Amino acid sequence: MLIFDGMSDLSAREFVADFYESFTREVVAGADAAAVVDRYYTPDIEQVADGVTLDRQRLIDHLRPVRKNVVSCTYDVHEAIRTGNRLAARFTIHAETRRGRTISTEVYMFGELAPDGRIRHTTQATRDVSAP
Amino acid sequence: MTVFRVLGMTCSHCVGFVSEELEAVAGVESVKVDLSTGLITLRTDRPIDPAEIRTAVEAAGYEVEP
Repeated sequence: MLIFDGMSDLSAREFVADFYESFTREVVAGADAAAVVDRYYTPDIEQVADGVTLDRQRLIDHLRPVRKNVVSCTYDVHEAIRTGNRLAARFTIHAETRRGRTISTEVYMFGELAPDGRIRHTTQATRDVSAP
Repeated sequence: MTVFRVLGMTCSHCVGFVSEELEAVAGVESVKVDLSTGLITLRTDRPIDPAEIRTAVEAAGYEVEP
């Protein structure tokens, strides 16, 4: 018998889109970086992207240049699956910079969520898909 | 060609932010960034003042390794 306890693909896509759009909106709006990170990530967060590991402090530090350079950000979530506390998604981030350029990055992400919905761990591979 | 290391870049967006600032420096023809090492290679059509490079990198929110 096949047992599936996951969200529908649509719900998982909405979860991923809502999570990152809300997080980025708070960051760009200038909210306290540590407080924002703590609302969306557990204190033991480990984010590994393209082999670079960020813990909570490095994630907070990363928000300073993001805030300085990004005017707005949108997320196209192409596909996502969530089963229990496991999450996988493929999405593209379109970040508009203060110089007017749009940096587009496709992300392949596997993650683990805490019971309260915050992200505890992600492993990501990315590629630049910006228009030439 | 000018090679230097930038501290604090952690993702492809960081690479984009730094590249964008360096590409705007007069005389810079191309910018190549190795995220894993932080090494940046500039191809230029003239010698570039290191202070200009530092200013551009700092404008993006990062630091040139001393």
